[in-house]
Amino acid sequence: MGNSISMAGYTFVVEEKKEISGEDLGLLQEKLLQLNWGVQHPASGPMRLKVWVDGDEVVKVDPDIGYVLRLLEKLVEYRTWINAIVNVERACFIDNFGTMTGYSIAAEKIAGVKVPKKADYVRTILCEGGRIVSHLIGLGSFIGVLGVHTPMQWALIAREKFLDAFEVYSGQRIATASIIPGGVRYEPTGKFIEKMVTAVDFLEKEFIPRYGEVFIDNPTLKLRSRGIGVVSREKAIDLGLAGPALRASGVASDMRKDYPYAAYGELDFRVVTKEEGDAYARYLVIWEELIESAKIIRQAIEGLPEGEWRTKFPVKVPPGEAYVNVEWARGCFGFHLVSDGGTGPYRLKMRAPSFANLWAMPEMMKNVKLADVPVIFASLYMCHGDIDR
Amino acid sequence: MEAWIKAIFFPGFVFLLVVFLMIFYLERKILADVHLRTGPYYVGKWGLLQTTADVFKLLQKEFIIQRRANKILFSLIPFVAFLMVAMLIAFIPFSEHSYIVSTSFDLLVVLALVTGMPPVFFYAGWASKSKYSFIGGLRVVNQMISGEIPLWLSALAAAVFYGTLNHLQIVQESSFLGFLILLPAFLIFVTSTLIVTDRPPFDIPEAEQEIVYGFLTEFGGFNYAILVLSKLVELFALYSVAVVLFLGGFKGPILPGILWFFIKVAGLYLFTFVVRASTPRIRMDHLLRFCWKVLTPVALLNLAFIILVKMFIS
Repeated sequence: MGNSISMAGYTFVVEEKKEISGEDLGLLQEKLLQLNWGVQHPASGPMRLKVWVDGDEVVKVDPDIGYVLRLLEKLVEYRTWINAIVNVERACFIDNFGTMTGYSIAAEKIAGVKVPKKADYVRTILCEGGRIVSHLIGLGSFIGVLGVHTPMQWALIAREKFLDAFEVYSGQRIATASIIPGGVRYEPTGKFIEKMVTAVDFLEKEFIPRYGEVFIDNPTLKLRSRGIGVVSREKAIDLGLAGPALRASGVASDMRKDYPYAAYGELDFRVVTKEEGDAYARYLVIWEELIESAKIIRQAIEGLPEGEWRTKFPVKVPPGEAYVNVEWARGCFGFHLVSDGGTGPYRLKMRAPSFANLWAMPEMMKNVKLADVPVIFASLYMCHGDIDR
Repeated sequence: MEAWIKAIFFPGFVFLLVVFLMIFYLERKILADVHLRTGPYYVGKWGLLQTTADVFKLLQKEFIIQRRANKILFSLIPFVAFLMVAMLIAFIPFSEHSYIVSTSFDLLVVLALVTGMPPVFFYAGWASKSKYSFIGGLRVVNQMISGEIPLWLSALAAAVFYGTLNHLQIVQESSFLGFLILLPAFLIFVTSTLIVTDRPPFDIPEAEQEIVYGFLTEFGGFNYAILVLSKLVELFALYSVAVVLFLGGFKGPILPGILWFFIKVAGLYLFTFVVRASTPRIRMDHLLRFCWKVLTPVALLNLAFIILVKMFIS
């Protein structure tokens, strides 16, 4: 408007015709290309990886987290000792029993409360149920990043059976809020035990043979995941890896065996380790732990004692602090709980295994192919809720 | 029937759309069966109209062109791609009388058109001016060029064996002995078809978990539907060529020829879907190594073998 050129009948659209240089786009001219692997990405979940690639080679990876920060540690301070479980369990909803157990044991340590034996056994059953549920999703999503969605669908069918059992027990399928300081919240009825046995039967008789036949010795899967993201034993300890990722590097670290809690001391199970330390080894560790967990549930159901399932937990807990580690599905979960003598926790610090694995990831992603980024990411078996908390 | 009626209805444009919808439906249903799910169920009898509904949903979507994109190229590419693959169908005899054209260079034209696809898909990625699309475009060129050489060599093996490039003639001369002799060529052809049309496990150019959707990332609505349609039609055309070259086309006892043709194509599709449901995606460098160090030499050896057989037969 008002331009002499346009008044003369010519139209120039300066904005539209301007050629955009490659530098603006990060394309063509620049040698390194920064890809944003997330937040809105099919495989990333609510986090972002800045991936710098040189052609097909990954040069550097920088995680950017905080998209699901819920301030769980701070929220716990506004709850009573028992109410706090609803915040603790949301560290990762997939396996919520492990975190609730850890918090409850820490609170009981400060208060000096002794839990009945039956509660210990029920906690064990629930924790292993949670571990199975979590490992099923872990298996499914590991192959899911390679473009096959069958394992996830099969895993979800097996998971439904366990969720049915949780629903019978607590009325909720996912966020169960069922383990509290002083025991467990509900009576383990016969129907719950029955449902749990059904679920374990389904897992052992249907899921494990079917899945093992197709997706365990799969040659293409081996081609993709063997020798990818290798971490040696020493390096794994240095990086502070946790859970299946640590055990896949040959470190037999399992809180259930090392510092038994709940009823794990009285049950017979094996700590799964692999020597290779690559993505495939991590996958196999998850797979074999799944089988072990089913056995633990069977033993715990057989040995379930009679008696009370809950004792009284004091409203006010004397001042003190406790540090408790539990072997959660994704690794060793640490709880540092402090009491100032009030009706609720004064401070809770959660040490999250996924967070530890996340900061070890850039080390593993040096000089790999772009296609290996999702494989390594999924093999580390991280939960986004757990990373941010 | 007049040729133009054939080109519009059967086996032309309308037929292509119906085939596209049915194959898409079949894929979802079979995948669902492997997944132990039900799959499409509510829209139409047995969910038969689900894919139609999906396509109509795409048609009514907004036509979005990215600000940086090369607008003309971006809007043109889907139609160019569709035109190129739709031409493939013209040369395929679905039965003794249902074909649009029959020349003495059928196979040559089909292979030439398939070879022309990589630039189209590369421009689709390049014109989007987006990182994921660009990487997808590079990957698709890389992959299709390495897949096309074994494709050509194995298809030419059949042409050498039957001594003609005309599809109808090939079908008429086919026999069970011919099938056995051409079996290696058939396997190479099907494998390289999967590579060329980037179907799983070779869906590297559109690896969802790495580069979102490859060169299709920025496309939406009608453009997207047309591009996906052209990829599916390309696969359908290549499978039809495989049936014509190696499986005896429309030949078969009792049932009419056209049914036999589709039974054979459906068998190949079933194989594709089961492979998709059970095989993880392989990596680009693995694929290139496989194509250039295994598939191409084997295809060359196979061609030499066919020439040897031909020498003794004639």
